[in-house]
Amino acid sequence: MSFIKKYIEQETINRRNFLLAGAYGLGGVAATSMFGPGMARAALTDPAVAWSYRNRTNPYWNEIVSGGEAFVESLGKSKDFLTHLINEGSSEKSLADVKAILAKTNGNLALAIDTNDAPNARPVVEAVAAAGGFVSTLWNKTDDLHPWDFGDNYVSHMSWSDEGPAEQTARILLEAMGGKGGVVHLGGIASNNPAIERLNGLKNALKDYPDVELLAAEPADWDTQKANQVMSAFLTRYGDEITGVHCANDTIAYGVLEALRAEGIDDMPIVSYDGNPQAVELVAQGKILATVFTNPHWGGGITAALAYHAAIGTFKPSDEPHEHREFYGPTVFITPEDAKEFKANFIESVPTYDWTDFWGPSNGQIMYK
Amino acid sequence: MGTVLTRELLVKWAPLIVLIVLILFFAAMEPRFFSMRNFARIGISSAPALMVAIGVTFIIIMGSIDLSMEGTVSVCAVIFAFAFIAWGGTLASVAWLALPLALVVGGIVGLINGLVHVKLKIPSFMASLAMGFVGTGFALLLTGGDRIRVEDELFRGLLTTRWFGFPIMCYVAVAFLLIAWFIQTRTTLGRNFYAVGGGEDLAHASGLNVNRVRVMGFALAGVFYAVGALLAVGRIGIAETATGSNFMFVSITSVVVGGTALWGGIGGVWNTLIGVLIVNVINNGMVVIGLPGYVQDGVLGALVIAAVVLSTDRKSVTFVK
Repeated sequence: MSFIKKYIEQETINRRNFLLAGAYGLGGVAATSMFGPGMARAALTDPAVAWSYRNRTNPYWNEIVSGGEAFVESLGKSKDFLTHLINEGSSEKSLADVKAILAKTNGNLALAIDTNDAPNARPVVEAVAAAGGFVSTLWNKTDDLHPWDFGDNYVSHMSWSDEGPAEQTARILLEAMGGKGGVVHLGGIASNNPAIERLNGLKNALKDYPDVELLAAEPADWDTQKANQVMSAFLTRYGDEITGVHCANDTIAYGVLEALRAEGIDDMPIVSYDGNPQAVELVAQGKILATVFTNPHWGGGITAALAYHAAIGTFKPSDEPHEHREFYGPTVFITPEDAKEFKANFIESVPTYDWTDFWGPSNGQIMYK
Repeated sequence: MGTVLTRELLVKWAPLIVLIVLILFFAAMEPRFFSMRNFARIGISSAPALMVAIGVTFIIIMGSIDLSMEGTVSVCAVIFAFAFIAWGGTLASVAWLALPLALVVGGIVGLINGLVHVKLKIPSFMASLAMGFVGTGFALLLTGGDRIRVEDELFRGLLTTRWFGFPIMCYVAVAFLLIAWFIQTRTTLGRNFYAVGGGEDLAHASGLNVNRVRVMGFALAGVFYAVGALLAVGRIGIAETATGSNFMFVSITSVVVGGTALWGGIGGVWNTLIGVLIVNVINNGMVVIGLPGYVQDGVLGALVIAAVVLSTDRKSVTFVK
């Protein structure tokens, strides 16, 4: 029986060694983190680059990611160098993915992320900073969370304020309606910030057009088929009273156009938002009066570029002014007059961007209400 | 005996009564609801959903469930659009072959679905749900997230050409409804669905190859999903990964509201027609009477429960799972 005894003895020693080694390792980590997240590492060498976003079925996120891929290609790497973290609309998965990749890369990470909802931004940023990685966020964060509170590790946040641009497209619509009649609004998912801002934009514009009535505003969930059905029902309820349609985005506008086509209506004034290629084509044909392009390709690329270049030490985020840490993304109006030119410049040939011109096309520091 | 008969009769006709009551209710709230043009609009929104719901009706009659419709619809829509455009882009050319191709693709996806369920002995719920994800993923792989526009005027005639006020897609849907009715009542396969759903052990003991019936059922459902996909593309002129979105909820709800029991053996395609119309009348009616958006989902849920309570005979069921 002595061999059993020997085996147990050996295992006990092994376990003790393992536990000791583990404790030593933890102590080492704790000692490093005592110097604070900004101090942990001044610059990384060859960090992994990851983009965390909702899904690829949506043309908008598809454009975002194409920008991220263009950026890693500009580094002389293949597209596959960019790691895709897809959260499928779940904040929990978004955070879990981030923690997993931090563990895998040991914090040697440049992360671009839309955290799916605003409250999720803080745990994500804290996790990345604690591991010594670098993160840039897009769209979602709470108003009290600021990059400059995290030294260098929270590099930047980019968002868009849609109220102003949506108001401008609404004015184009209301002018086309001759300043009278009835308008319907088909919105995004009711609780989404852009959906709320885009409807507010319409309401602001309507204040100057007292003869136009807002007949109804219904959520169409950014969905073509749902928009199609909601528009059909609007036609039943209001019929000829509808003389203009304000859509919260392009995918909604496609559904609206088809609902109108089914009724043989092809001259209804419509405006939309996002500047997807198909919508630009429809603007060129005069079927949509205006849309707003937010250049998601550039947004996706530059968000990854900011995190990467901060990580390798090209620039030091804490030396930059606040308007370089929190800023609005670009907005470009597309109307029938300039649609052809826009198509040639942005769609038929995707421009090659200088991914170190971090703030060129941006639109000023984010203002909180 | 008299009361039992009335109860049976009531249950049999309850879905239709629910539909009529809903139509009268919405018409009373907003007279414009009750117009030919609005019925045509309800028809347009019902046609693709009806095809998908008929497909899943066969599966539910067998006592199984199929949740692969969203993926299957997307795959069929995308492959149809690619083939249609590659082969000429108009129905007046050989591109019309893309129509039968889509049906074949739907059948193959359904066949795989059925084989996974039967051969690997995975419950239909899980097998089909997984196949649905595979389908959505495959459609995404094909499109890379882009949308494919189908602009051919002839094909879009499904929506734009009207006979007696209704667009052609409504007549196509009715034609396939009649085909489904024929399969259900006049073919061995159709009657075997009821045999499997009514008592699988008994059917098996009687010498019926239950596995074969199941696989055939899933393949048949796939073909109907493909028809639904074609009508969905005809309706908005776009094929994309999201073409299949929402079909799962609408079709399963419609089948159940129409009076086909989830435990199998009861119901049929006419029940499904009524169910699809109930769901679409509710959806259309709520916007038409101007119900605020945020209460619509809640009202839909409550109405679905009410419709199921009225339209299924739950007395014969000893337990619910």
